[in-house]
Formats: sequence, structure tokens, C-alpha cells
Amino acid sequence: MKEFYVRLKIEDKMGVIYLKGHLDAHNVGRFEREILKLIGSNIVKIVLNCKELTYISSAGMGIIMGYLDEIREKQGDIKLCSVNKRVYEIFDLVGFTEIYDFLEDERIALNKFKNVS
Amino acid sequence: MFPKKPQLSINIPSKTDLLKMIVGITKHVATLNHFSNSDSQKIALAVDEGVTNVMKHSYKCKKNENIKLEYFSNTHGLKIKIVFRGIPPVFDTKNVDINKLIKGKRKGGLGVKLIKNIMDSVNYKTIDDINYCEMIKWKKKK
Repeated sequence: MKEFYVRLKIEDKMGVIYLKGHLDAHNVGRFEREILKLIGSNIVKIVLNCKELTYISSAGMGIIMGYLDEIREKQGDIKLCSVNKRVYEIFDLVGFTEIYDFLEDERIALNKFKNVS
Repeated sequence: MFPKKPQLSINIPSKTDLLKMIVGITKHVATLNHFSNSDSQKIALAVDEGVTNVMKHSYKCKKNENIKLEYFSNTHGLKIKIVFRGIPPVFDTKNVDINKLIKGKRKGGLGVKLIKNIMDSVNYKTIDDINYCEMIKWKKKK
């Protein structure tokens, strides 16, 4: 049984990655492949929809962090939305809440990108 | 003082598909020892990070190596010991600067930051080619 699911949607030249389940060092490669697909297609406005993400370790956060500089150099960004309280606490522990936008839901996150461009 | 013998001891091979099980067991042990759900989840994450470091850096992702986890508890806290062979880990005691990691396009480095932020004490030592990582979390005083 799979314990982590990742799905990609592209809308108005923006990418939404849906993360579901338990994201750790074992399955992080699947998440990284989706990020790389977007960057490779020059889609650098990326929303991570974490509504169904129950757990994230540093392996997953490392992917969010490792490509940020490249994405911002290309005038893009990564925004996170619908993060549950327990997972938010983990992002907060490493200081992500000061670096990334955490938004209530996907629509707000996409609109925020639209308002900037 | 923690008991000399662990209340629970687990031996696992160095396979990342077992990390989720380790998280589940550790969370359960922490909850049984009266840590809150939130603290139990964080302690489990710190152990996940410690074990992942062993698999990646000490065992270089080889899947047939052994890792032992020992859990000790008393009324004041929980001690978790990770026992392993391989390359002794380098545990950087300096604060991890996340902005530097981003600028350097680094994907690693957050695990150590998490362990340090979550646990009250973390010690690594190597005796006779066996490495020990000992983490302690004290209960909050009510």
C-alpha cells in the first residue's frame, strides 16, 4: 500500500502539487520529480497543496528549500496552502513560516500569484 | 536517572521503507509516557531524522546494515538511543542558517536543525567502532 501520493495540476501557467499522506526520505523522490517537471517546463509559480499531507520530514522540506533559489531567480515562487496545524508546527520549527507564504487555500494562493504578475 | 536497561529495544535493517514504522512506534512510546500528541509527533520526527541520517551518511544507503533503537523512560522524560556502525556522524553544533542553505541550493541540513530544536539534549559518541546517538526529551513542568 502506498503511503504517499503526489499529483500535479497546471492552471494558467501555474503549477499545483497535491501532497497526500506521509512524506519522508523513502518517498521524497516522487515529490522531487514533480517539482523538476514544473521547473523543466518553465513553470515556476508553484503552489503546494498540503490539505491531505499528514507528515513531512526534512527530506520533503529539503526539496521545497533546495529549488527555491532557482525558482525565485526565474521570478517564480513556492507558496503553501491548506497546511494542517500539526504539519504547520513542523514547518515553523525550521523557520519556513518566515520564508514562504502559507495561505488558507489553493484559490487564495493562485490569486496571489495572479495579482503579482 | 533513566533505567540502565531499555524498556523497549528494536533492531531494524537500514531500509527507508521502515521509517514510517519507526515514527509510529516512537510516537506511541512518547504518548504512553504522557507526552502530548504534538510533542509525541515531534519526538517521532527527531528519531526519524536521526535514523535517516544513519541510513544516508553512516551506511551510505546500504540496505543490509543494522540499526538498534532503545527507549528508556522515567517520570521526567524519555531517552532514545540509536546504536549503529558505519561512518561516525558529524553532528554540527553550530546553528543552521536556513537562508544560507537556500542560497547554496542545499537540500540537506534541516534534519540536524529539527533534532536540535525538538530535543532537549543530543549527544553522539563512538566506542569501539559502534556509534551512539542519544536524544533526551524532558516533560514540561506543569
